[in-house]
Amino acid sequence: MDRKFIVRAALPIALGAVALTACSGSSGSGSTGNNGGGGKKTYTIGFQGPLSGGNAALGINEKDGAQLAIDQANAKGDLPFKLQLKPADDQGSADGSPPAARSLIGDSNVIAVVGPSFSGASDAAGKLYSQANLLMVTPSATLPDLVNHGFTTFYRAVADDFAQGPPDADYLIKKAGAKKVFLIDDTTDYGKGLASAFKGELSKAGGKLAGSDSAPQTSTCIPGATGSTSQYPSEASKVKSSGADSVFYAGYYCDFALLAKALRNAGFKGQLMSGDGSDDSKYVQGAGAANANGTLLSCQCSDIASNPNGASFISAYKSAFHVDPGAYSAESFDVTNAVISVLKGLGSNPTRQAVVSAFASVNYQGLTKAITFGSDHNLKVQTAFLYKVVNGKITYVGDLSKLV
Amino acid sequence: MCFTHNFWSLTIDGLNNGFLYALIALGYTLVYGVLQLINFAHSEVFMSGGFAGLFLTQWWVGSGTPGGAESIALVVCGTAVGAVTGGTVAFLLERVAYRPLRRRNAPRLAFLITAIGASFFLFSLAGKLFGRDAQGIPTLYGNGKLFSVFGGDVHLYDVIVAGSACAMLLVLDRLVARTKLGQGIRAVAQDAETASLMGVNIDRIISQTFVIGGLLGGAAGFLFGIANNVGYTMGFVPGLKAFTAAVLGGIGNIRGAMLGGIALGLVENWGVTCVRNSWRDVIAFAILVLILMFRPTGLLGERLGRSA
Repeated sequence: MDRKFIVRAALPIALGAVALTACSGSSGSGSTGNNGGGGKKTYTIGFQGPLSGGNAALGINEKDGAQLAIDQANAKGDLPFKLQLKPADDQGSADGSPPAARSLIGDSNVIAVVGPSFSGASDAAGKLYSQANLLMVTPSATLPDLVNHGFTTFYRAVADDFAQGPPDADYLIKKAGAKKVFLIDDTTDYGKGLASAFKGELSKAGGKLAGSDSAPQTSTCIPGATGSTSQYPSEASKVKSSGADSVFYAGYYCDFALLAKALRNAGFKGQLMSGDGSDDSKYVQGAGAANANGTLLSCQCSDIASNPNGASFISAYKSAFHVDPGAYSAESFDVTNAVISVLKGLGSNPTRQAVVSAFASVNYQGLTKAITFGSDHNLKVQTAFLYKVVNGKITYVGDLSKLV
Repeated sequence: MCFTHNFWSLTIDGLNNGFLYALIALGYTLVYGVLQLINFAHSEVFMSGGFAGLFLTQWWVGSGTPGGAESIALVVCGTAVGAVTGGTVAFLLERVAYRPLRRRNAPRLAFLITAIGASFFLFSLAGKLFGRDAQGIPTLYGNGKLFSVFGGDVHLYDVIVAGSACAMLLVLDRLVARTKLGQGIRAVAQDAETASLMGVNIDRIISQTFVIGGLLGGAAGFLFGIANNVGYTMGFVPGLKAFTAAVLGGIGNIRGAMLGGIALGLVENWGVTCVRNSWRDVIAFAILVLILMFRPTGLLGERLGRSA
């Protein structure tokens, strides 16, 4: 009897306690943040990106970069409050983006968001964040058009695809010796944007378009995607019969691996090239090193391993997450630090509105680049870099603008 | 012009896809034949075969480059392990998800929901256990060009898929037509109640039907994975396509499933010779709807009992 009574009594008490906490959390009359016990308030920086699904590697890289920046800021202790990270998983898709964004917007403790990682997801969430007056800084969404959609709180701390697509075409034609290029996009916002940026420069560089195609992402790579894997062998047939000597793929690494495999299986020996969405070691694993070798990959992400200032970041990242930093880990670290540098100037009670207005004039020198924005919310200085798969490893070639 | 230009290489790729569809489609059709149930979790049986083959070959190959007899052994063992895993998963699926419902005479809709639930459970479990990134099956053999058919190159992979699929389809066809087990399957498909009065153990026949479908689906999972990598959601589209193929050929009809699979694979590929690949499903399904308008029960008609 006693036990039953305790259970019966405990449940309403527990529920009541939860409700009370919830109320006191939200009734703070606009003052976000709650007391973390140690006197300092705690504020939250949100992160939105793919944390599950076939392209989760990029999102996890970025989440860990942001986490490291926050941990270091807390350890330093020179902020008037504590920070924590709240990750929201959008699976990298436009469909998954609004729910992830709402979960961050709905949390009144969140005063800035790093992300979303991908262009389609950024496009789908931009309006929501703007309406909520919540700063969103993407470390990696490169679709050029994103800054033209009237998202007032959106900043792009990465060069867009005009910094990547046109120099890619220049390099492929002028340096890699290609003449006829077959262009394939994955029908995502990012893929279409990169493909058209590439195509625009191709003829100016002296190359010919042997053909082009759109191959939707497959269900092997993206849960629920409807593209059929059976398309890649036929894609390879088209490429071969078009007489192309090279293929440029505008899309993400998982599907690029399937395409590369199909092309090599069909005996296509020409040059393969892709952009930052494919710049991940999982591309090599998925395609098989023998198929992937020689592939050129461009990325707005710099090579942190060859960066003279990167050593301490790499060792801190490794000790925290037990892996090497991947594509966009350092970029996300920089973006988060840029946000933190703005928070420093806002006193102990920063509001979303104050963060947004202060961020417009941010000037932060990060490991990878200077983060300072023009009036179009793009970076003032845009750069992209080139990588090549050599012996199954993605190796750094150089700064694209200096290579061509 | 563009149609004739690529025709033979697209035909070869289409046949290749078609054989895989046919192997998977048989799982749907066999189960439908005996239970009048669309086993939507069959795409996860397919996926389980892919993962089993992946783990076996990863463990076996390591970082080496196999060749010669080892390559043959790898393909044969990978297919076998994929098949056995598929069969096991299908067997468990029937035991856990469907048999209890059958015992309670559950309405047909309950089976359908259970099938979808089992499908979600299985692929989520695979994602949890094996990671959510697609993984490549290691290189098992040098995929050289063997010969050309009117300018369309035939590679070793095409021959492996076509050969093993034909062998399996042939064995299955004979099994259903000639053996006692096949007789039992046909009897249950025609009239389960009468079959049981004649001394056929229905539970056993249904179990065995699931296992046969699972064997084929699991083997297809590995063969598919060689070229297309293995991931926890890999079964989604191939499963839907194979289900379509089964309906196209006449659901419940074994030869229909084979024909439907091959027809779908070819139509899909021919459809996109002149247009962008994103139109693939639009064209393929438009043609399928047309076929079904004129032959509503599929190319070869519906019943398993009559087919063999």
